[in-house]
Amino acid sequence: MAGFFKIALHNFFHAPTTDPYPFGETFLPDTYRGIIAWDKDTCIGCSTCQHVCPTGAIRVAETDDGEGISFSYWLNSCTLCGNCGFFCPTNAVHHTTNFHTVTLQKEKYDKTVYGEVDLVGCRKCSKKIRPMVELLLERAYSVVSDEERSNASLCPECRRMKRFEELYK
Amino acid sequence: MSSKYIIKSPWLFRINTGSCNGCDVELATTAMIPRYDAERLGCKYTSSPKHADIVLVTGPVTARSEPYLIRLLDEIPEPRVIIAVGICPISGGVFRDCYPINGPLDKFVDVDVNVAGCPVRPQSIIDGIAAAIGIWKERIEQFQEA
Repeated sequence: MAGFFKIALHNFFHAPTTDPYPFGETFLPDTYRGIIAWDKDTCIGCSTCQHVCPTGAIRVAETDDGEGISFSYWLNSCTLCGNCGFFCPTNAVHHTTNFHTVTLQKEKYDKTVYGEVDLVGCRKCSKKIRPMVELLLERAYSVVSDEERSNASLCPECRRMKRFEELYK
Repeated sequence: MSSKYIIKSPWLFRINTGSCNGCDVELATTAMIPRYDAERLGCKYTSSPKHADIVLVTGPVTARSEPYLIRLLDEIPEPRVIIAVGICPISGGVFRDCYPINGPLDKFVDVDVNVAGCPVRPQSIIDGIAAAIGIWKERIEQFQEA
């Protein structure tokens, strides 16, 4: 009974607790997992996000002309679980705090994130390889030397040849 | 005369087509807890499909629930607005291409608003209901003119 009076007194002196959302601001946790954002500059097109996505909302595929790798994400199939951001080696995919997920039926397939990563040419044989990101080099080597940086712009074949020449010359 | 008031107070009806109950809990939260009071928007939950104006469907339409869904949809009078709540009725979600799933929902009925999320945030549901009320007003006006 005392608890009831406490609440009644509190409600008498304080404003209602109803969230004024459609007419005003709402609260938002800092770590809220909302719609995904994708960063073109740090993505290396490894398709880890596609493999860990439980609903198949993400697709990473080569573009038709073979000049790049496309990333596409469909909001209406995403569980907002955070696997893609957790497993992404370069933090190119991450959640924003945007929770406005309402779409009309005619825009059902419009609410997507789409982008393409351009493949870069190997500097020796100009074969198309996936771009190397500084963050990935830092994860692979404790100290990133200039030599490693220059090796990163070679295709695997040329890199192997260069390593071999360094060892036995 | 009553049609003047219908515009201001659409009634909501919920259908669960084999949902995991996540979205249903969020719908109950939106309706019952004073914090997200959906009745501020002028709508009210009803338990009879014959009184329904806005229909909220959750779940990926399992094979078992499909005949009941169709029977309920037949009982809901036109004009009506249908909201798909959660990614399950929109695209199948994590259950897409499973053998007992007959969805998505837009195979069976013309959906008007899609509210994505797994489960949906109460604020998003309120957004969806607000969008549906806009469509509902247009539709009832067309219906009265005809």
